[in-house]
Amino acid sequence: MSHYKNYSWLPLVALLLLLGAAPAMAHFNEQCPPDTDGVDTDGDGIDDNDHLCIQLGSGDGFSVMADGKVQYMFGFSDYGGLKNAGGDPNIQGATPAERPDEDDPELMGNMWNDSTNPGNMLGANFPSPKIEMREGQMLYLTLSNIGMMMRPDLFDPHTVHGHGFSEASSTFDGVPGASLSVNMGSSFTYFYNLFEPGTLAYHCHVEATEHMQMGMLGQFYVKPKQDQLVLRGLISSESVQGFTKFVYNDGDGATGYDVAYPLQLHSFDPDFHDASLEVQPLPFAMMDDRYPMINGRGYPDTANPADLINQEGFAAQNENALITATKGQRVLLRLTSMSTTDTFTLTIPGIPMTVVGLGSRILRTDGDPAGARELIYTTNSVSVSGGQGVDVILDTADIEPGTYFLHTTNLNHLSNHNEDYGGMMTQIVIQ
Amino acid sequence: MMIKTKKGQGSILLISVLLLILWVIPAQAVIEGLTDTTANPIFNLTAKADHITTGEGSSVLIWGYANGTARAQYPGPTMIVNQGATVTINLTNALTEHPVSMVFPGHDVVAEGGTARLLTQEALPGSTPDNGEVTYTFTATEPGTYTYYSGTNMDLQVEMGLLGAIIVRPTDFAIGTPSTFQAYNDEVVDPNINIRPDSAYDHEYLYLITEMDPRIHNLVEFGRMDEIDTTTFYPVYWFINGRNFPDTVTAAYAPQLPVQPYNAFFMMHPGQRMLIRWVGAGRDGHPIHLHGNNFSVIAKDGRLLSTDVATAGADLAYSRYTQNVMPGETVDAIFTWSGYKLGWDMYGHPPGSPPGDMEPFEYALDHGKPLPVTMPAVGTFTAGALFSGSPFLGGSGFLPPGEGALNNFGGYFYVWHSHHEKEIVNNDIFIGGMIGLMVVAPRNVGVDIPTMPTL
Ligand SMILES: [Cu+2]
Repeated sequence: MSHYKNYSWLPLVALLLLLGAAPAMAHFNEQCPPDTDGVDTDGDGIDDNDHLCIQLGSGDGFSVMADGKVQYMFGFSDYGGLKNAGGDPNIQGATPAERPDEDDPELMGNMWNDSTNPGNMLGANFPSPKIEMREGQMLYLTLSNIGMMMRPDLFDPHTVHGHGFSEASSTFDGVPGASLSVNMGSSFTYFYNLFEPGTLAYHCHVEATEHMQMGMLGQFYVKPKQDQLVLRGLISSESVQGFTKFVYNDGDGATGYDVAYPLQLHSFDPDFHDASLEVQPLPFAMMDDRYPMINGRGYPDTANPADLINQEGFAAQNENALITATKGQRVLLRLTSMSTTDTFTLTIPGIPMTVVGLGSRILRTDGDPAGARELIYTTNSVSVSGGQGVDVILDTADIEPGTYFLHTTNLNHLSNHNEDYGGMMTQIVIQ
Repeated sequence: MMIKTKKGQGSILLISVLLLILWVIPAQAVIEGLTDTTANPIFNLTAKADHITTGEGSSVLIWGYANGTARAQYPGPTMIVNQGATVTINLTNALTEHPVSMVFPGHDVVAEGGTARLLTQEALPGSTPDNGEVTYTFTATEPGTYTYYSGTNMDLQVEMGLLGAIIVRPTDFAIGTPSTFQAYNDEVVDPNINIRPDSAYDHEYLYLITEMDPRIHNLVEFGRMDEIDTTTFYPVYWFINGRNFPDTVTAAYAPQLPVQPYNAFFMMHPGQRMLIRWVGAGRDGHPIHLHGNNFSVIAKDGRLLSTDVATAGADLAYSRYTQNVMPGETVDAIFTWSGYKLGWDMYGHPPGSPPGDMEPFEYALDHGKPLPVTMPAVGTFTAGALFSGSPFLGGSGFLPPGEGALNNFGGYFYVWHSHHEKEIVNNDIFIGGMIGLMVVAPRNVGVDIPTMPTL
């Protein structure tokens, strides 16, 4: 591990520099009012549990590339965990029986499933925590700006900008020039009424080229009310092909799946990250991403189920991209990309891909579940540009058990910088 | 470390937006360009050299199509005609060394005059209306959004700026009659049936995207043509309608940008429909992300997305929030925004406000609902230059000294930009490039952008 530099002494220096101001600046404040409207808006049959409160921290940290290169990064982290207004620290306001299963791959990297993240200095995750939400919930998303330990010269504010929210007000849109950004040591609570299900994504919009290249991005997804209605027997199982989980409120099971894998695509330019750490001019024009990744890792780390521990001893990269399923299952891939440079095309030799959703909407007329059904299609490749999202279902009914590969067909991105046989690729194991 | 740059750019933005706001007066909400509604429109274009100004203030040589004796334009004039018209374009060439031409993808063109070359007839350097002019003629059979560009030495000439857009209006379209504003012939019999996409709109905007490698332009400027290698193309400028941010949000026809008349500043009222006409006029695809809402992609390359446009074909419009617009392609989309189901009253009506006080298109169940969160205290946030200080549409609020205040009418501002964020930079200087602004304005603020006289 020749690239493995230890920077653990640097935070101490930074902390010393910050000490004078830090105590006076700590105004972290999470807003999480109780749900008192007496209406069940998320379809689970419970009236007073529809407020979803999440607190993200923003700051910096380190990630380790598949070739051992340590990358300085900016990022979001779990800060204070997820809770509902009733004070349950673990779950999005569901009954205890519905607590997330720690083994459910869809919850991999979800903040409430992550006990390793202290939410402190150098606690940035890459990618940012996945956040599972439910249609009908009211999202109170608090961003607390912890500050960048390795860059005490920076006092950058941060924001959260979402992709896929319907009808966003500019107030909560997270564009610093058009609304407000959160100063270091302070908090702001974003509010969204989650009235549409889908695969969403988020990123910081402050100095967007820099903060996104540096890693401030992640995935949201909103599960449809149809899940709850089938669970409660209010929609018959037969009418939705026997599925219990759906990407959208399809009404006919067209987006039904058995197991889901949220996959965040991104890529790093090592020169940019090194320049940031070394307080050098940032190479905007020369930006050239050479670490293409899925869920914050290049192959073979993508298929490593373990957390990746950085030199601070912190599991900054606590998601993997190993996909496993039993023959016959329908596998949902939630694909979102936040690359600041490249469009990636993905293929899975041997497994056809059915595109059921695009841009956080069902692939029917105007994203309307009642729209024309001719749009959903089966293919062998999907392209995802920066800022886009696609929902793909793999039907494994006719797939022989074995190991398959999901990989980019932009073949220059099948590497971890100069190391070949890496990059944007992972394994799909069908048992 | 971007703080210094940001401050400088901020003041440019401030001036730009001020200029723009001052220019907003009621006028016809149509795309700027050369409109000819006759059955036989004639456009006289001349290829010329000139210089554009980039977003960070550099001057770059371009070749552009000029309207007659006017200066060159980047992009060339947007030519707007009616469906069925027989369109004539006379091309002359004021460049000193290079033959030029025009191609019109999607149209069946007859080219006459000039010199026959590989793709089409070319106008030689120095050609004039009396000597060597090329005449291109086609019938605008189908409505929609189209592009045109040079058919000569295209890897160099398109890079240099010889490109533009054509808009063909559907048969029933009438200037000044908003009820006829639609992009295609798609009269919707019953909006509840999924038959053909609905292209009706209140406002329409062009969103033509290009990129530029200034090294090529500099070699042309210094006459070092032998050293030009377009295969090493490495763009560092990205444009919407011929401008880089922040110039994109300066008024159209701003006098300080004489070669770049078109802007990328879009306005609407809540509940209105906006038609976006994307044109991929450069060499790269760019994923354009619209803040505020998903949009519906209704047409591509001048054809509605339907299984059968002529009859009752299925409506294949799809919804998304980022469209990758590829080189040579046009894409039409409809964007709407009304604040539907925000979960709070965005007009700030107090609890108990009577239904009669509702605004048009206001979502009734949110009427009178308070903002669910407390806005942060001054000192804990940095206010944007375009933040009114209030969370409410049409509102205003207290802001820290020196912050905000450009948005004194309480509009909701959104950035519409390339999501390959490398492209929101002007030659290594953040912020710039491929960013436009969209404003949802309160109803008491005019949203029509002024236009210049047509032909
Ligand atoms: Cu940030």
